[in-house]
Amino acid sequence: MNVIALQLANQRTARPVLALECERDVHRSESDPTRNSVPLRFTLPAPNQGAMTAQTVQQGDLVTVVGLEVHVQLETDTKIFCGCSTEQTDEPNENVCPVCLGLPGALPVLNEGAVEAAVKIGKAIDADIPEETRFHRKNYYYPDLPKNFQITQYDEPICADGELEVSVEGTRRSVTIERAHLEEDPGSLQHVGGGIDTADYTLVDYNRAGTPLMEIVTAPDFRSPDEVRAFLAELEEVLEYLGIFDAERDGSLRIDANLSIIPEAEIDGDNADEISADALEAANRTEVKNISSHKGAQKALAYEETRQKNAIQRGRAVEQETRHWDEARGITVSMRSKEEEKDYRYFEEADLPPLRVSDWKEEIAIPELPSARRERFGDEYGLDEEAASKLTSTKQVADFYEDVAGEFDPDLAATWVADNLLGELNYRDIEITEIEGRLEEVKRLVALVDEDEITAKNARETVLRSMLDDGRTPDEVVAEEGLGKTSGDEVRQAVVEAIDENQGAVEDYESGDDGAINFLVGQVMQKTGGSADPSDVNQLLRAELED
Amino acid sequence: MSESPETADPEEVRHVAQLARVGLADDEVDQFTRQFADILEYFETLDEVPEVDREADLANVMRPDVERDSLESEEALRNAADTEDGYFKGPNVS
Ligand SMILES: [Zn+2]
Repeated sequence: MNVIALQLANQRTARPVLALECERDVHRSESDPTRNSVPLRFTLPAPNQGAMTAQTVQQGDLVTVVGLEVHVQLETDTKIFCGCSTEQTDEPNENVCPVCLGLPGALPVLNEGAVEAAVKIGKAIDADIPEETRFHRKNYYYPDLPKNFQITQYDEPICADGELEVSVEGTRRSVTIERAHLEEDPGSLQHVGGGIDTADYTLVDYNRAGTPLMEIVTAPDFRSPDEVRAFLAELEEVLEYLGIFDAERDGSLRIDANLSIIPEAEIDGDNADEISADALEAANRTEVKNISSHKGAQKALAYEETRQKNAIQRGRAVEQETRHWDEARGITVSMRSKEEEKDYRYFEEADLPPLRVSDWKEEIAIPELPSARRERFGDEYGLDEEAASKLTSTKQVADFYEDVAGEFDPDLAATWVADNLLGELNYRDIEITEIEGRLEEVKRLVALVDEDEITAKNARETVLRSMLDDGRTPDEVVAEEGLGKTSGDEVRQAVVEAIDENQGAVEDYESGDDGAINFLVGQVMQKTGGSADPSDVNQLLRAELED
Repeated sequence: MSESPETADPEEVRHVAQLARVGLADDEVDQFTRQFADILEYFETLDEVPEVDREADLANVMRPDVERDSLESEEALRNAADTEDGYFKGPNVS
């Protein structure tokens, strides 16, 4: 029988030690069979003076701890160490040269644009840009690396000690970013004729090799998959604001997440953010790889959290291992990992002199970031949090809102941009950037509503939709559909006609059936082609029928 | 790396071979162990090189983010042992 004997031992050092004594998880079918015979057994260090207290851990006593490594493709025109284009193409090995193919004698030269983007990130996360920073070679043998090493940064990254504020369910939290460094993206592999283990052969495309990447490493500050998702969404927004990241691009965001489950008692009551390094060390963690979006991160980590908690509750050990997120199946699977950190034999990249760019932090400007802009939208335009948040979701949306709010009433502008425009775009799966050239037309439409030329309903349901679906201008739609607001005389004429033609409804109304008025309103609307204002019509009808 | 490089041991050779994804037979392991030791010993010659001044203090060597011509795909693949549809082709790797 599996007996959970999770014990907390308080040593003289007051360092709590988590100990698990249990049998292996027999369901780990995908793991390396050679490891199956070894029972996992973690035994306690000898307790000091009987200070040990044993307790069975309940679900509520466990806390999830997550730290992230986020790889972000920087949106430069060329690769980080050569002048090949970073544009995605249909043909393999089209954007390659001796440098990114790792041909003998080719020398890397650093792309200034990638360094600028890195400094912008550093500024946005309020990181230190050290006086001097340099590159290292990380050695491993895999065909996605043509040189058998990856140029990256090791002990002197370009950004250190930053933070990013995130709002999680209304509570603001600051996430520590330990470091962020520049490196080159590997190429991409296709395993042909089977899965990664069973393929017949491998096809290699080096178009992606050398695309600049920034690896952003957080402290283990997250306590739930929801927090991770909120952080990643915020990070994506910030990166897009900086104009250095394209979220739409395939593979532009790749996440590795370290997740461990530790007893709640390990968390200092006064400071819930602080977990001792010892406690984290004592708990086995899994590194989940192959996550490619903030939604994927939430799903992958929720799965992994449940898997580990279940294992602990059944008295099984959580193995320290690397797991692969299988998006299609919605599960994580064990991966064999061959290398330990020392096996990468990091050494200095002698072909690249050091960087001294700490003063760039002052020289390079970055735009107002989403969180600051959200707050300002509340103060300046009186928007509630939801509207402010929608309107700052991308820089293009926020810029357009400010453009419209500058000319019209900020509330009208908010309705038009946040609800009507974004709603219709969303429905059609169109990004605002795709209709950038037509935003003036949207403004013209808001002007027509503001000047009372057309009804808000027609503007939204007919004009805007037709603009998006048929590519017509607002004035064309208004003219061709006869949507110009009908003059008062025409409406009055239609009211009189409707009363004459529908005596039955009139009698119903007069005998106290107030609902009959709606039928008459509908008749008038029909006669005016929908261009009259229904509440005006309602009033006119009532006035007419009173007489 | 090993503390005493002049005596490379077979275990280390096997480990390095595994990292490099190279399969070695037992007699090859012996052969490489001897060769590792020879090579490492040879590198010790560097200890005899007198210290010299560093090269000129280079820093911030960068190029503008401007595209340059890449290789023609045909040229890029010319040295490859095997190709398929514009890809480099190799054995299965996991
Ligand atoms: Zn290149």
